Amino acid sequence: MEGNKLTGGLAMASTTRQGFQNSLEELQQNILRMGSIVEQTIAKSVECLAKQDDKLAAEVVEGDVVVDDLELQIENQCLKLIVTQQPMAKDLRKIAAGFKIITDLERMADYSVDIARTAQRILATGQPLIKPLIDIPRMAELAQVMVKQSLDAYVREDTELAYRVAQADDLIDSLHNQVFRELIVFMMEDPKTIKQATHLLFVSRYLERIADHATNIAENAIYLATGERKELND
Amino acid sequence: MKARLVDHLATFFFWLGAGIILVLLGALVGYLLFKGCKWIDLDFITRAPENLKAGGGVGPQLFNSFYLLVLSMLFTVPLGVGAGIYLAEYAGNGDVNPALALPRSKRASNFLLAALNLSIETLASLPSIVVGLFGLLIFVVSTGWGYSLMAGALALTVLNLPVMVRISLEALHAVPRDLKEASLALGASRWETIWKVVLPAAFPGLVTGGIITAGRVFGEAAALLYTAGMSSPVLDFSDWNPLHPNSPLNPFRPAATLAVHIWKINSEGLIPDVRRVADGSAALLIIVVLVFNLLARWLGSVLYRRMTAS
Amino acid sequence: MAQPKITINNLNFYYGSNRALKDVNLEIEAHAVTALIGPSGCGKSTFLRTLNRLNDLIDGARISGEILLDGQNIYAPEVDVVALRKRVGMVFQRPNPFPMSIYDNIAYGPRIHGITSRRELDGIVERSLKAAALWDEVAGRLRHSALGLSGGQQQRLCIARLLAVEPEVVLMDEPSSALDPISTLKIEELIHNLKEKYTIVIVTHNMQQAARVSDYTTFFLNGEMVEYDETEIIFTKPRDKRTEDYITGRFG
Repeated sequence: MEGNKLTGGLAMASTTRQGFQNSLEELQQNILRMGSIVEQTIAKSVECLAKQDDKLAAEVVEGDVVVDDLELQIENQCLKLIVTQQPMAKDLRKIAAGFKIITDLERMADYSVDIARTAQRILATGQPLIKPLIDIPRMAELAQVMVKQSLDAYVREDTELAYRVAQADDLIDSLHNQVFRELIVFMMEDPKTIKQATHLLFVSRYLERIADHATNIAENAIYLATGERKELND
Repeated sequence: MKARLVDHLATFFFWLGAGIILVLLGALVGYLLFKGCKWIDLDFITRAPENLKAGGGVGPQLFNSFYLLVLSMLFTVPLGVGAGIYLAEYAGNGDVNPALALPRSKRASNFLLAALNLSIETLASLPSIVVGLFGLLIFVVSTGWGYSLMAGALALTVLNLPVMVRISLEALHAVPRDLKEASLALGASRWETIWKVVLPAAFPGLVTGGIITAGRVFGEAAALLYTAGMSSPVLDFSDWNPLHPNSPLNPFRPAATLAVHIWKINSEGLIPDVRRVADGSAALLIIVVLVFNLLARWLGSVLYRRMTAS
Repeated sequence: MAQPKITINNLNFYYGSNRALKDVNLEIEAHAVTALIGPSGCGKSTFLRTLNRLNDLIDGARISGEILLDGQNIYAPEVDVVALRKRVGMVFQRPNPFPMSIYDNIAYGPRIHGITSRRELDGIVERSLKAAALWDEVAGRLRHSALGLSGGQQQRLCIARLLAVEPEVVLMDEPSSALDPISTLKIEELIHNLKEKYTIVIVTHNMQQAARVSDYTTFFLNGEMVEYDETEIIFTKPRDKRTEDYITGRFG
């Protein structure tokens, strides 16, 4: 009889706090939406650099407002859920992780804006690209995948996927080192390239930071799933 | 619409019932007071009755009523409250008050408890004349006391005990279980809890019980006819030694109370002013009961306030 | 770690044939607040009442296992229940001041335990009321009836009344469930301050309250002790699925 009581209770699980469950799902959908906007921003920022497209760069800079607004909106949503629902255990972790994830996403968008601004500066010098970009677009692609996968890991509570994101971060780090060495060589051979090479070095650095933030999101996905805080950035 | 009509009708009938009771009571008391009050004066209240002449009073009877009250309460209250405590706090199976219940081995058996309850119910429904005759047999004849205040007091105790037990039981049950548990949780023993928490909290209820039984002592005649007797010796109100036969305080002298006196002069009075004495006594009895009730309630509330600091 | 204040070993409690507690094993830390949570009828109140033997006289009640208070079994035959209850006091769900003056309420316990000196009692009354954060509100009317106080004040009075007998363990059975939010917070603040001197075990239906006031939390379900851990862990990452389901409101 007591067993029935328990399973009876568990069977009711989906209905007991349906409204709250819906709110949590809505929260995650919003975070995913913000994530996909950030992904696009990253792609566009590198694209405007590679194609020397001033218009696209301006678009990226102006688009940052959208991400900032979304961050505020989701933050309020989290606060409201905490105040009105007093979440516990996994529900609490879902909201706490969401809270941190949107900060990471917002930072990524900021770095993208920095990349777009860098592109504008390079354009302003009138100097053509000192070399065709290969590794930097690769880094951007990788960073996008990491953002997407880390958010998927959060929504699906998939720790395995989260660990894969952390592995991808190592790849970006080594790409960054490669870009660094390459640009140093350029600068040593021809001092005229120093200005642009430094700008590109910053871009690489921004992309590497974006990947670090994606790793943070993966950490939060693991926290949500297990309740454990894991340090994946080393 | 219909529900409202029914509601109004019901309210009207309840109101009517209460109204009828009030009117009846008012008419009865008013009639008695109207007929009797004019005869009541200090002389009437203090003088001894006459056997043949007009002009006698009811002094000794009034005194007897009060004295009998004191005597019978002396038995009724401790016995009644004691039995109430036993039934409420000790004998039960713990459903009313698990925290206070005795371990099973020390409790009354269910059979004993049922027998006790049955006895109390039966005692409550005995006609008072039967109690009077039983009193005659036991308290008057067997003890050899003859007609006496003591026999009357014991007969009244038999009559009043069930009421007192019932009311005490209810008053004690009404004390919240929380209070008892609070006391026990502070490390008080069962007896300390009953004495210091339960009894004070039940006090207003116990006072009510006392007043109801006291009213019966004033009004009872049948149970007293053959126990306390229908006459009093000549009382010497200057002699307060309870051992002297003519002392008003002697509990072993016969004594007619006011109620018995009314019955007696109405049925076999030889005095010419029977109406005067009977009507006066009836009015006096009502006034005395009223005054006693008010006084007892006032005293009870003063005591309760003193105890509870409210 | 220091020796636990109370150690419960294989505790079973039966009402007749109903097994209300099943093999409960638990250690209650001294000078900490331990909260008992769980759905209605899960046995948490029953468990609380076994700790001062307030329900061991219920008809058909039977107990097995042992409860060690400072290492001594409180169910051992030689234990004096009255003395035990002086050490392990209790605050109830509804405020239950005695129908007496505020002063007499507090002095009730000490008087029972043989203190008659007026000056000594005055001191105890003042100390206890101060410890229960009630002194400032009632100092001028100690001779007035305790029933004239508000619900929250009455409950703090009951706590003061308990502190007056200097218990070591304070059991609280949903002490603020009948109070308004402000009074509830005052009681919680009080609980927080009391743990310095006392070991506190509190039953509560309010999980937020458990989270606010307790250091350790125990989850009961169907008479079983399901999970015990630091409060922070229970409410952020419980190990047992049943605890998770209960505290996130999935059932119960």
